[in-house]
Amino acid sequence: MDEFLEQFLLESRDLIAQAIDDLLALEEKPSDTERLDGAFRAFHTLKGAAGIVDFAAMARTLHAAEDILATIRSSGGAIAPGLLNECLTCLDLTSRWLDAMQTSGVAPATAEAEADDMISRLVGSRDADERDQAPQPQGDDWLQRLDASALARFDGPRVALRYIPSPDAFFQGHDPMALIAGLPHVLGVDVALTDPAVSLDSMAPFSCGLDIVVWMAASAVDVRAALTGAVGLTEIRELAAPGVTQAESDTSKAALLLESQLLVLQDAGSDGLSGRLASAGRTAVHALIHLGRDEAAIVVDQATAKALVERRTSPLVEAIERALTRAGPASVRDDAPARVHVPRALRVDMSRIDALVKLTGELIVLKNAIGHAAKLSQENTQPAVLAASLRDQHAQFDRLATELQTAVLRIRVLPLRSVFRRFPRLVREIAGSVGKTVRLVTEGDDTEADAMIVEALFEPLLHILRNAIDHGIESPERRAAAGKPAMGTVVLRARRESDSVVIDVEDDGAGVDLARVRAVAAQRRIAGADALAAMTDAEAAHLIFAAGFSTATTVTDLSGRGVGLDSVKAAVERLGGRIALETRPGIGTSIALMLPFSLMMTPVMTVEVAGQAFGLPLDSVLETAIVKRNLVVPIGSGHAVVLRDRTVPLIDLTQALGLPHHPPASDQARIVLMSIGPKVAGLEVDRLGERMDVMLKPMDGLLAGVSGVAGTTLLGDGRVLIVLNAEELFD
Amino acid sequence: MTDAAKKQILVVDDAALVRTYYRAALEARGFKVEEALNGLEGLEKILLQSFDLAIVDVNMPQMDGITFVRTVRAMELPVSSTPILMISTEAGPQDIAAARQAGANYYLVKPIKQDTLAEFAAIFCGAH
Amino acid sequence: MTAVLHDSGIITLSGACPVDDAETLLQLLLANPTAEIDWRDCTAAHAAVIQVLLVAKRPLRGPPAGPLLTRIVTPTISSSG
Repeated sequence: MDEFLEQFLLESRDLIAQAIDDLLALEEKPSDTERLDGAFRAFHTLKGAAGIVDFAAMARTLHAAEDILATIRSSGGAIAPGLLNECLTCLDLTSRWLDAMQTSGVAPATAEAEADDMISRLVGSRDADERDQAPQPQGDDWLQRLDASALARFDGPRVALRYIPSPDAFFQGHDPMALIAGLPHVLGVDVALTDPAVSLDSMAPFSCGLDIVVWMAASAVDVRAALTGAVGLTEIRELAAPGVTQAESDTSKAALLLESQLLVLQDAGSDGLSGRLASAGRTAVHALIHLGRDEAAIVVDQATAKALVERRTSPLVEAIERALTRAGPASVRDDAPARVHVPRALRVDMSRIDALVKLTGELIVLKNAIGHAAKLSQENTQPAVLAASLRDQHAQFDRLATELQTAVLRIRVLPLRSVFRRFPRLVREIAGSVGKTVRLVTEGDDTEADAMIVEALFEPLLHILRNAIDHGIESPERRAAAGKPAMGTVVLRARRESDSVVIDVEDDGAGVDLARVRAVAAQRRIAGADALAAMTDAEAAHLIFAAGFSTATTVTDLSGRGVGLDSVKAAVERLGGRIALETRPGIGTSIALMLPFSLMMTPVMTVEVAGQAFGLPLDSVLETAIVKRNLVVPIGSGHAVVLRDRTVPLIDLTQALGLPHHPPASDQARIVLMSIGPKVAGLEVDRLGERMDVMLKPMDGLLAGVSGVAGTTLLGDGRVLIVLNAEELFD
Repeated sequence: MTDAAKKQILVVDDAALVRTYYRAALEARGFKVEEALNGLEGLEKILLQSFDLAIVDVNMPQMDGITFVRTVRAMELPVSSTPILMISTEAGPQDIAAARQAGANYYLVKPIKQDTLAEFAAIFCGAH
Repeated sequence: MTAVLHDSGIITLSGACPVDDAETLLQLLLANPTAEIDWRDCTAAHAAVIQVLLVAKRPLRGPPAGPLLTRIVTPTISSSG
């Protein structure tokens, strides 16, 4: 992607976020002019950016929104909730367009049509707002003045305009007829007097008392654009069927359709009762599915069956009423799938920057204090006094360093919602494409994690979800046969567990077919026959993460893309995380991604071999043990240790690292037990050290390719601590 | 990704232009469309094949839309459960009430934008 | 000046009638309570002129020459008399 476009995307996302902030603040306090100005500017700048990259659909959509905000700004009024929602929807749409651009590098093909729709929604909501706010007795009476014959043709847009110029319009040099002449595709004009009783004797010819209605074969947007010079009251109405104009959004259309089924049932006589019940039930179920309210749809479906058996409407009426009361805008309007991008820039809450500035100030104060201490040391000050001063300064420095670290980390934090919110719609689509119905439940989306981790999680999670839907959740028939609800459930949960962020993906499907996994693993030589035989079921289940493994019997367009769950494992490990799987036949599978809260902090345990210190990532350390050397037994070419009746393979770290070997000094072996995927292995070291949190610096340059090393960190005494990658040690 | 592709819609209207207009709107969204010129022909079609939705005009020769809806509902056959959307130029409350009493599930007044029609069809079919 | 009273007792509007014609037309109408109006040569009219026509409710000979004026459906001024 060229740099220009990249810059555009980055800036636009910032502007969208800023506009959303302002709009949400306006929702709280509609009269906040500062926020209104802010939102207006953000829309305006976004529009300008769209123009620069020649994204016409985006430019005109934002122009329509900007127009609305400008009107509100100049009128000094408050923004109506309806308008505010449309402006937010407009940003949502724009953000989806940007996601598509990020992926493909070009504006999405659907943008033009979506822009048309969005603009008419924006204009519609503005007109609704004007109707609400208009000072005059409005009503729709004036629409009766339209010439029906001119409008009888049904195709194309029809707009009616009512224009009541202000009385001094003529004095202002304004000619309403000239304005009308400039309107697009005028079909007819009806001119009336605001005061029909006025006579030639009493009239003031230069005072305007006209009430004009114009109807046009044009869109409301075009009409509005031509109205810029209007002096007085204007009202635009898109001419659609009554009952449809209110149902501008898709969601409210579905709600309307749902509601009207109650009326259909109300009219039910005994004649054609079952047809009426069944059709109303079917319509209601579909409307609910359309709204993404699958659970309610199931309830209504069951109520329909009950109503049909009992030959009465009340069960269905009650079910629909219940669904309506909880209707709410459960719009699962969601972002289009997009490739994950690693954020190069991050929007940061000002307060978090302020915290850093404050800490910097404190550090400078401390620096001066240390300078003073250094001077004291040159003046033969008593060592005890100097020591006290240094101790004090060290304590302060320690506190500041910790605070600084925390503050820096806070900057890089994002809630998981930002990735979770993309999934509900994707899950529905994936499930639909394989003929399954699946409900996605997300939990803990407030949980925060390092922005880089959050952004990088989209693809692995999508892959796991695909896999759960494709292979985990059974077909509705099989589920029914197993006595499960036809609709499968997948839970996507984020939670904080000490220093880790854990993401669980649980499905209530059939579980991993372990016999099949073993067979495939043998067939594809992922593991030897002996190794397979020795594996516990839990270990065998983890084979699905092995490279080149896929249990799909048929390759679907979903999971069968040549990448298996091994890519998920690799992605998670790149982020410094681990993956675990638990499966129970017939009950379901649960996959947990355990990720560090932050990429920067790694808890390690230090150990010493051959006089050198090394770090081991604490999240793979299970426990440490000091055992009698006679418990270490040779097995094949290696060693093993028996711990609590369990034989665990043992590696001598000195040997593994190729360090000069000394004969064991004592008859005790110091062992660190580590979890390596599903396995447990021991590492023999000379000395067990302490636990510490370090800022891990990845190996780069010449050392980037060194295996077995996760990174380095600087110790307090200036030494470099090499942190080992436990996994690779055992390979 | 839409599952509209598998959805069958019957359009019953005597005006060829209207049928073409509806067909274009619906097919653009992936729906399959069958046409009937009046209520009688509509009945023939709906008895031969099941539909996910019938879009029916009110004023038609031979058999009007209201009679068509009442007949479909009264048959006590699986076909009676077909959701029906009535579309008419008549916008009076009595017209809407008549359609509802006959058993229509929703009523729209012409003129209708293609997008609006397609959106309603999608909702009726539980498509996205 | 495009609003003119003719000997025949008919007021004609011709060409594009600017705002000032409203006053002229009003005076002509007040002075000639039975005069009819012919606007077949009128290509455009200021809204103030139209307003006077509406208040006058006089017989109007049309249709006018201007395309927009022909689209005015208001009964008192759309009759092609």
